[in-house]
Amino acid sequence: MGPKGTTAETPPGTGDDGAPPTGIQPPRAARPTRLSSRLGLRARVTAAFGVGAFALSAMMSGITYFAARQSFLNERQTAVQRQAFVNASLVQNSLRSPGTEVNQLLESVDTLPGSRSVLHYQGQWYATSISVGQSTIPATERADVLAGTPASQTFAAGGSPQIVVGVPLPAVHAAYFEVFSLDELAGTLRTLAYALAAAAAVTTLAGIAVGRWASGRALRPLTGITEAAVSIAGGQLGTRVEAGDDADLQELAEAFNRMAGNLQARIEREARFTSDVSHELRSPLTTLSASVGVLEAHREELDPRARRALTLLDADLQRFKRMVDDLLEISRFDAGSAELSPDAVDPVELVRRAVQATSPVGADGLRVPPAFPVEVAPGVQGLRLEVDKRRFERVMANLVDNASAYAGGVTRVLIDRSPPADGAGTVPTAIRVMVEDAGPGVPSVDRARVFERFYRGGRSGRRESGDGTGLGLSLVAEHVRLHGGSVWIEDVPTGGARFVIELPLSPPEPAGEAR
Amino acid sequence: MSRILVVEDDERIRQSMRLALEDEGYAVDDVASGEEAVARFAAEPAELVLIDLMLPGIDGFETCRSLRRHSTVPVIMVTARSDTHDVVAGLEAGADDYVTKPFVAKELAARIRALLRRSRPTDDGPSVLTFGDVEIEPEAGVVRRAGQEVHCTRTEFRLLCELASNPGKVLSREQLLERVWGYDYFGDGRLVDVHVRRLRTKVEPDPANPRFILTVRGMGYKLAA
Repeated sequence: MGPKGTTAETPPGTGDDGAPPTGIQPPRAARPTRLSSRLGLRARVTAAFGVGAFALSAMMSGITYFAARQSFLNERQTAVQRQAFVNASLVQNSLRSPGTEVNQLLESVDTLPGSRSVLHYQGQWYATSISVGQSTIPATERADVLAGTPASQTFAAGGSPQIVVGVPLPAVHAAYFEVFSLDELAGTLRTLAYALAAAAAVTTLAGIAVGRWASGRALRPLTGITEAAVSIAGGQLGTRVEAGDDADLQELAEAFNRMAGNLQARIEREARFTSDVSHELRSPLTTLSASVGVLEAHREELDPRARRALTLLDADLQRFKRMVDDLLEISRFDAGSAELSPDAVDPVELVRRAVQATSPVGADGLRVPPAFPVEVAPGVQGLRLEVDKRRFERVMANLVDNASAYAGGVTRVLIDRSPPADGAGTVPTAIRVMVEDAGPGVPSVDRARVFERFYRGGRSGRRESGDGTGLGLSLVAEHVRLHGGSVWIEDVPTGGARFVIELPLSPPEPAGEAR
Repeated sequence: MSRILVVEDDERIRQSMRLALEDEGYAVDDVASGEEAVARFAAEPAELVLIDLMLPGIDGFETCRSLRRHSTVPVIMVTARSDTHDVVAGLEAGADDYVTKPFVAKELAARIRALLRRSRPTDDGPSVLTFGDVEIEPEAGVVRRAGQEVHCTRTEFRLLCELASNPGKVLSREQLLERVWGYDYFGDGRLVDVHVRRLRTKVEPDPANPRFILTVRGMGYKLAA
């Protein structure tokens, strides 16, 4: 074939409707950039689990820490106050007895580790340790206690927390202060904080792990459904997913299967309709065909005008038959019921026979030899190709028809292997059959689209014979695909189009089998 | 003049077939249903029967099976569907060949000629062929297994003779199509497959695990030497 045509002949909107001018395309929406849109579902679920686990564990740790701290402090405060009051009354009693040595007295009451006493007596400050003294005690505390009010206060001295309890001793005109170090408590609380932080970190990691596992598990059925969808898209309409035991997933699986079932039913209904139509058309066609055959047998008895009419009738009957066959073939492909019935054959013989079958039968009942050569590249002889002969015959017939309809006929057919024989002993994996014409070639923009159904592109109105059905090349593509092969179009260097069919070779035959 | 029975429910198709076949020089008898076909054939045997698969009442498959119970007459199935299912079912019902609607009168005539030609014993090979406990007399058209006569259609018989006269040699489906059915390159390999299956049920002790008629994958069939 050579598609018809130069651009000038292309009716507006036919040649390039596949690629509308970009100018009229609506501006593309700005790509969403939110993190959630960029991350996959699984990453998002994992992150949500991680963040949730972190927030929860941090909150629980915080509450635990502060509650524990408060409780420890209260307990400690109560203990030290009790201790301070006991000591204060001891000091007061001692000071009442004359001749008491104040420093000794203070040392005698200062029993608990980490506790130090400070006494304000007769305008003097006494302390049991040089680390404490008048200046250690916060001014407000001092003022309160010296004014006669017991008070207790926590404060930091030298970077470590302290608690001071002050008890006025009005009977002896003194004030007793006891300073307790909270270092031990702070250490406990620090250990607690570390433990809680570690627990929070572990919980967060566990959350992430659970999130990852759960999302993976939750998405696993999606993997199955993805595979099923891919399979259905690939034409395996009967593909379904396993429902499994999970009630939630069963719902999804059932919905998916229901969808797939409806889709299949619909496609099959359409295919069946096409198939039924073409079968129904076959009955009148049978009568027509048989009757035209009878007329042909009596052609000599007809007058010239009737003969011409008979020739027209016969030609269009053939075309009608081809259309019905093509429709039926297409409906089989659509229903996924096209079956390959392959035979291992000699590719050269195959091509020669198929080419021969495309030539018209002459008046003598023999086929007119094809008007073009069939050439065989080196390295093809002796190979065997696993192929459905009937389908291959249709492929060749369609390519030859296409060339005569649009490119003035085939100029040559070439059989080659792939990769080509190069003398280095490369193993051929496929056979290429190339059908060349000397027409105008196929513009590269049309090369994929000519294999679409009813695609005419720039070729509309250029039909030189009425043989095309508009389905021929799409059937070529379908037949070749069914063989696991491919078809494409190249330019012939000397002008014209080259349709290349590549069919994979049959697997090597078991050695030692008698032939 | 060979007599052909056409079983076809569509009046116009039937008439056009009659015209075309009469032009080819056959005497044509036509009926519109399977029931009539069985009755007509019993009353007046034909040399070949053309059966449309889609018939009202008993369908083409059943009609073929009924004829087969009493006769080895060559049968060509006429089908509007070339799907594997219909073709194979038709052949399994006992048909020798099939044509797809709409057929070209010349092609149908060629199929008929091929079947009628090989219906007449023309073999001049050895007088008796044997394998296992099977004994074939090509001239007499008789097959015996363990002394018991086995009823084969003529196509089955031809196929069996072809295999039995080439023991140990692989015959491709193309070769068998050409020698048994008179087809050229584009004959349908399913014809061979189904006939081989049918033959196996008649001559193999265990048709599912054939000992004599062996499949050679990707190549064809052979009779175990």
